[in-house]
Amino acid sequence: MNDPSAEVAPWDMMAVAMARLLKSGETVFHGVASPLPMVATLLAKRLHAPDLTYLNITGSVDPQPAALPVSTVDPALLAGTRSLVTLADLFDLSGRGRLDVAFLSGVQIDGEGRINLSAIGDWKHPAVRLPGGAGSAMLMPTARRVILWRTRHDPRTFVERLDFVTAAGNVDRVVTPLGIFVRHDGRLEVESLHPGVTPEAFREATGFAVDVDERTPTTPLPSDEELAALRMIDPEGVVSSEFQ
Amino acid sequence: MIDKTTTLTEAISAIPDGARIALGGNTLHRGPGAAVHELVRQGKRNLELVKTAGAYDVDLLCAAGCVAAVSAGFIGYETPFGMAPAYRKAVESGRVQAREHACATVIAGLRAAIQGAPFMPVAGLQGSDLPAARGFRTVRDPYSGVEVYVVPALVPDAAILHVQEADATGNGRIIGTRFEDVLMAQAARRVILTAERIVDGEAFADAPETVAIAGFLVDAVVEAPGGAWPFSCTPLYEYDTDYLAAWVSAARDPDTADRFIAERILDPAAAVA
Repeated sequence: MNDPSAEVAPWDMMAVAMARLLKSGETVFHGVASPLPMVATLLAKRLHAPDLTYLNITGSVDPQPAALPVSTVDPALLAGTRSLVTLADLFDLSGRGRLDVAFLSGVQIDGEGRINLSAIGDWKHPAVRLPGGAGSAMLMPTARRVILWRTRHDPRTFVERLDFVTAAGNVDRVVTPLGIFVRHDGRLEVESLHPGVTPEAFREATGFAVDVDERTPTTPLPSDEELAALRMIDPEGVVSSEFQ
Repeated sequence: MIDKTTTLTEAISAIPDGARIALGGNTLHRGPGAAVHELVRQGKRNLELVKTAGAYDVDLLCAAGCVAAVSAGFIGYETPFGMAPAYRKAVESGRVQAREHACATVIAGLRAAIQGAPFMPVAGLQGSDLPAARGFRTVRDPYSGVEVYVVPALVPDAAILHVQEADATGNGRIIGTRFEDVLMAQAARRVILTAERIVDGEAFADAPETVAIAGFLVDAVVEAPGGAWPFSCTPLYEYDTDYLAAWVSAARDPDTADRFIAERILDPAAAVA
């Protein structure tokens, strides 16, 4: 039997799933170390959200990069921009409630959609000092919608209890290689499983209790149109760099 | 006209041990690489580094024993090279204090410094453990009664910034993203500018709006071609992937890190700027 899901790479599934969450007219922001949000935003803009405003940490507005950088603060993301804002301007935009979507991630994510990017173990005397939350502690409570993404879905990432709460706030969805969480009444619930992912596999990979069974919907596979647009935007497969 | 041009050695020797230093640029881009190497060569100690998002600069200075504390929102090399191993080890061993910020609170602290205000309100932070861990307090808005987080002024003793063009009086033109460089230049007590090239400032009069850094704020100007390396400096050069990969690999172990610094930074015959 031919399983079509076997032909879709997890980064392609994630990029497409993240793109589908964006709407035309929204202001959308990503920061450092964010290849998947960069590609997902460009994909949404090309497909169903042409009037989305694409903002990023370089300060460019709706850039049209010819070749996508691996660093998402790269000057390559300035190509085609007709204006330039600052990072301070972008935090201010979120602070006054005008940022619709912020893409953020966490080394640990709990069942409320809170994140830890600060430390494993005690924050003052950490076993592992993590990079830090960048803008997240400010953006998560102020952006209208936060979409979390994480390329690892295992019980060490999706945990019952965070070692430190770097940021908490307006999380709407969490996209992983296994599926999509949606937040309802302050708790992450399973919205859909990606094709080929069983409820058991999803449950075992998640460190907090989730309600998932045979009736849980399946994320629609990327369409031919979505995959074709993805290849146009990211021919080199920069999105896959997050899985190395 | 005051000619502020000097050598890198002179400019950096004005920075005392224990100084709070703001570093320009962001992650892999337009950081003051040559000045950072000079800080290492002069064996500075107990510096506090200020930046929204740092990478090689913070990592190297931690490995070289120059740092007591890092006030930043993010320290890492982004996807190509991952976490900053020397910074990580320095914090885990207790040698360096991570004064963790949200990037927005670094900016708020700089803004307070710029305005001569003792602190700055900042939106957000609710639900985060950071305010308690860092001692960021709230005040009650006297007009609405709402509680708001405030961040104390963050006044750098010096800002070290690398720009594409400067004139001898310190006017600096930045091509591309300015990051927090302009805020740092305004907030700091002293500003050191390194520039790819020193130009005749008369040319700036044709388009003063392209000059990001006003010369009257600047104390020292150093001509440093390639002075962002191994960071990128658009449109002149990209970040040096091979060098950074070699450093990150060496930085995982203190012995190999020390050897790397000795051979590639301290050795006068080394190619490093």
